[in-house]
Amino acid sequence: MTFKSFIFGLLASFGLPWLAVVVFPFSKMRALEPAKFEEGDRKGLAYSPMRDGRVNEGSKIYGQEGCYHCHTQLIRPTYAGPDVHRDEWAGLRLTADNPDTRRETVPTDYDGEDVAHIGLGRVGPDLSNLGRRLDHYLKGRDLTPETWLYLHLYSPRTNAGYVENDQEIHSHSTCPSKSGLFKEIPAVQAGGQALPLYTPEGVAVIPTDRARALVSYLASLKKDTLGAPLPEAYNLNPTAPTKE
Amino acid sequence: MAETTSNADSLDVDLRATIDRSLRHPVMFFFSSGAVWLALSIILGLIASAKKHAPDFLSCFSFLDAGKVDAAHMSTLTYGWGAQAAFGMLIWLMARLSRKECTASGIILVAGHVWNAAVAYGVLCIMGSGSLGPWFESSGIAGMEFPGGVWVVLLVSFILISIWSLIQFQVRDAGHVYVSQWYLLAAMLWLPWIMVTAWLFVFVFDGSPLMATGIASWFKGTVFALFFLPVALASAYYLAPKVTGRPVYSYNIALFGFWSLAVIGPWVGMQKLAGAPIPQFLPAAGAAAMVMILIPALSVGVNILRTVQGHGKAIALSPSMRFTASGIVLFVGYGVLSFALNNNIGLKVSQFSYAGYGLDILGLYGVFSLCAFGAIYFIVPRITRREWLSRRFIRWHFYLSLYGLASIVICAVVGGVFQGQGTEDLTQPFLTGARRAAAYGWGITLAWGFLLLANLFFCLHLLLMWARLGRRSSHPTLLNKHHSESPHGPEGEVDNYGSATI
Repeated sequence: MTFKSFIFGLLASFGLPWLAVVVFPFSKMRALEPAKFEEGDRKGLAYSPMRDGRVNEGSKIYGQEGCYHCHTQLIRPTYAGPDVHRDEWAGLRLTADNPDTRRETVPTDYDGEDVAHIGLGRVGPDLSNLGRRLDHYLKGRDLTPETWLYLHLYSPRTNAGYVENDQEIHSHSTCPSKSGLFKEIPAVQAGGQALPLYTPEGVAVIPTDRARALVSYLASLKKDTLGAPLPEAYNLNPTAPTKE
Repeated sequence: MAETTSNADSLDVDLRATIDRSLRHPVMFFFSSGAVWLALSIILGLIASAKKHAPDFLSCFSFLDAGKVDAAHMSTLTYGWGAQAAFGMLIWLMARLSRKECTASGIILVAGHVWNAAVAYGVLCIMGSGSLGPWFESSGIAGMEFPGGVWVVLLVSFILISIWSLIQFQVRDAGHVYVSQWYLLAAMLWLPWIMVTAWLFVFVFDGSPLMATGIASWFKGTVFALFFLPVALASAYYLAPKVTGRPVYSYNIALFGFWSLAVIGPWVGMQKLAGAPIPQFLPAAGAAAMVMILIPALSVGVNILRTVQGHGKAIALSPSMRFTASGIVLFVGYGVLSFALNNNIGLKVSQFSYAGYGLDILGLYGVFSLCAFGAIYFIVPRITRREWLSRRFIRWHFYLSLYGLASIVICAVVGGVFQGQGTEDLTQPFLTGARRAAAYGWGITLAWGFLLLANLFFCLHLLLMWARLGRRSSHPTLLNKHHSESPHGPEGEVDNYGSATI
């Protein structure tokens, strides 16, 4: 093996995968054709997803706080995992009030973010649909999703409760507190921002700007299609398995 | 005749002494600062693990928030300890194998300080995001948490550290190219290519957020497979024949092992994105490559273990060989585990569970670090011209490392499989899987405690050597009570410059 053939071998064995898994997919993914509606009165029109909230800024803070170590944002197709069928992770189930909106993750779900927080582990639940899930659970209660999120970030085990299978489960969250995102100030200065918490007399807890951006982002995580139809190509909602 | 031989021998000894002297400062700097980073990383690993099952642990410090500690733990383990240990091994092995002294140790030393400063700044950014101000913000990208600029500084310092080894190889007196040199050369070329690619495609070019995540994941996978693994294997291919005094068992298997890693390694990484809306073949190729890592693992394992076969005494007595042989056995174990966790059944339960973490730690601490410890126990006495002070410290380091490592990997993999199955099982609420994992989380925390203890022995021992407080003796520190028999050759022939054969 001469030095020249050695270098050539390295160039070939690294260069080919480099093109195949980095360069080509990158250029393909940066210019994805928008999905088009195939039926109905929107036929032929391009689908443009909408998100509101401080998505880019909040996504960055989500990454900096390291939320992706314990939370994923990915509803896998059924060949890779049963995420679609897990509670309200992938959207809401069919009820009298709303259609079945569960679906897999599509590329446009991460629009507006610099990096897709797929996540490394599931110590906590998937957050793909967190915003819509909160809307759903908090319906008819005197708590906005934003306030619930502030309380959860500040003190995860004493907040208004965790809901699963339509049952409220208290204090089972294993999420560490992010109290660094909040500050204590004299109650007279808090205005309307104070969190509804039992605090010492004259003290109020208010969210910092980082907490506001993060919560705005978390509340924007609504990956179902309530209100806005999804083009057929993205509508990958599989039939649920029959209960055993 | 006898006179010329001994003349040639003494010239040889002189040359090796010159090489060792020329590299003394940078190599000792890399090893000792690496050891301090390792201790820090283990403390962070312990805290990070504890927070998974006891979320209120140390929650009063926002810089120790769960996600931040996790990121700081893996970053210090990889770039503080791993990379620096690898640099020390790389420059010393290349100089010895090319038989050229280093003429740029000053530049290497400066670049090493820059590397350390960049890693320290990066870690401050990770832990200080949101509290230290706008200059200290991490990127928040899994696997590449340091801010974009830090990667450029790391890349430039790496080039300034390794370019001299490339030159040494080029200007060496023509002759045999050792197996170790293939791995070192390849590692020196792969790492800059990987770093430039990841930096450009993640931080500079504006692309899909999914590909940023995917390429960062590819970066993490390939840095291990194409930098840490090759450097560890180079050291094993150097030490096994050297300590046993036998040539490498089979040149053809070595060739096959090297090229199979070169062909398979560049594909790994994106299996972490299985099921994400990216071209489906990316995670499939990543998972297939992780499954096929078993091929280079088996070939290197067979080759090294056949080389040292029948020299049980060398493994028992020589600290270098004991660590290296364990590292190689664990490489085979890594291949088997990677096979089990990345095939299409295993990946479902390992993708988002502790099991993937167990595999990462087995690779970085099991395979790479054990080989690095082996190399350090071999190299440091030669460059400081002092022998290790205490065989008891070495023994404790060895047993505690192995015990702690085994506990982490077993807890993470077994707990991770239960966790993964619990999460996949739709008849159970999500919390079931999470609760199952928490029990094993306790085990992982405890095991990091063992590793911390192991590395206090190691770090203290190394710092004493760094302070030139080693034994002044011509007998290497071996792991037996009496120096009656030595794997480094008969008594008297042993000197502080290395054994008489290179």
